[in-house]
Amino acid sequence: MEFAFEQHRIIGGIGADDEYWRGLEQNAFKLPRCSGCRRWTWPAHFRCGVCGSWNFEWTALDPVGVVYAWTRTWYAFERVKERAADVPYVTVLAEIPSADGARVLGVLRGSEEGLRIGALVRGVILPPSEKSKGYPSIQWELIHTDSHTVAHA
Amino acid sequence: MSTIRGKTAIVGIGQTPYYKRGTSADPELKLCLRAIVDACDDAGLHPSEIDGFISYASERNDAQKLMPALGTREVRFAALTWIHGGGIPGALSIAASAITAGQASVVAVYRSMAETSGQRLRINVAQNDTAAQYLVNGLESPVQILAPRAQRLIEADGVSPDTFRAMAQACYYHARSNPRAYGRNTVLDDEAYAHARMIAEPYRLFDCSRENDGACAVIVVAADRAKNLKQKPAYILSAPMGGLQGSGALEENINPYSTAGQGGVARRMWAESGYGPRDVDVLQVYQNMTGMGVGALIDHGFCTPENANEIIRFENLIAPHGGLPCNTSGGDLAEGFIHGMGLVAEAVRQLRGESTNQVPNAKLSLMTGGPGDTLTSTALFGTAETL
Repeated sequence: MEFAFEQHRIIGGIGADDEYWRGLEQNAFKLPRCSGCRRWTWPAHFRCGVCGSWNFEWTALDPVGVVYAWTRTWYAFERVKERAADVPYVTVLAEIPSADGARVLGVLRGSEEGLRIGALVRGVILPPSEKSKGYPSIQWELIHTDSHTVAHA
Repeated sequence: MSTIRGKTAIVGIGQTPYYKRGTSADPELKLCLRAIVDACDDAGLHPSEIDGFISYASERNDAQKLMPALGTREVRFAALTWIHGGGIPGALSIAASAITAGQASVVAVYRSMAETSGQRLRINVAQNDTAAQYLVNGLESPVQILAPRAQRLIEADGVSPDTFRAMAQACYYHARSNPRAYGRNTVLDDEAYAHARMIAEPYRLFDCSRENDGACAVIVVAADRAKNLKQKPAYILSAPMGGLQGSGALEENINPYSTAGQGGVARRMWAESGYGPRDVDVLQVYQNMTGMGVGALIDHGFCTPENANEIIRFENLIAPHGGLPCNTSGGDLAEGFIHGMGLVAEAVRQLRGESTNQVPNAKLSLMTGGPGDTLTSTALFGTAETL
């Protein structure tokens, strides 16, 4: 299968996360788990630094996380100018408890009410778009509960 | 354990003026030559004697381009320290190691930037190596990437944003008496700080380092040679580079997250030098952003997240009478920003007694490298009596 993001490939960083983007393009939130020691390895890499395995199982997860940190961008920076019209926008770093606390970036979607470290978020997967530079993306949405319950990061 | 303690010294400093970004009439290479030649004049050495060339990050003015114009007799050692602003003391460490190992005798450590010769600094320094995880999610600039760490320092670690303001105001206060400082005419009172435009929360404009065109160079030689040159030597007591497990290119999965990633290099620096935070007379703290300066002070043991609000106060950060005089030239925020290299020159001036905000009788001078970088470094310089 051909994936759209591969036509807009961003070269930079470790670059072992193709399966992450492929997963999102197929509407699945997948993170890599070492086949040897079963640890979650994030960001994705080519070798497990703990047990030495070269094999990873990309495992689909329920995209539920906890806000670990966030920022609201007020300036249209050059290399992400596709989002200029959205300024100010919030980017959330969400900790994924079911993947041993792996932290995954995503733009905040919907209401900002209750945005704080420790707030619960749910991921919404979006198809490749210009704003996400031809890549699929996950956006984080705050989970509003009646009791305003929050977890602690 | 490193064995470079006191074996080399900075004997010359050279700096071009700080130009508004994109306005330098000279290209990077010429600025670089000017800074290196000035540093040689300052040291009393002939530029042709330089046999080692070391820079860091995305520097493009390499030995092979410089040597024809310097009259270099022989290049014996040339290296580029990996990473970004985190590499500055690391570059000094490479210089000291090369000299100690007999691979070079007169080493220039330098950085030159002119947006007229290239791109916006924040793009240039990223070296086209930003992970898709950032760019896809609207993050590209250092300020955006460091902002969530600052948010966590405030929200989860309980450090007051007043410490950020104090770090910024100390820079602008010191800049006022420094004729080189690009930001010397800015009066950063509480109102000006609070009403500056927001860039990436929690960072406003005055939390961010500047972008300038310019160049800065220092000359490093062996300690025995340093004694006989023009200037009072600034001995390199320690300049470790690196990162502990949990740091590196981890795309926001670093641990610890909210400070500067300098706990490991600071520990090695104190161990090698034999000194501790209480012994330091004056600090030049690399600040890409103010929160990272606060993080550097925490990582180096000058304070903890718990008492940062009491220690990082404006009065305490001001020369000559503050307990923790910080960024006495104005630093990256208010003096100017050649990728942090100006901090090395100021750390040396303090030991010579030549700063425009001199700390009386300064003997131990600290310079911290780019905080929050994927690897980083830190350096302690001392006068002869600290050896």
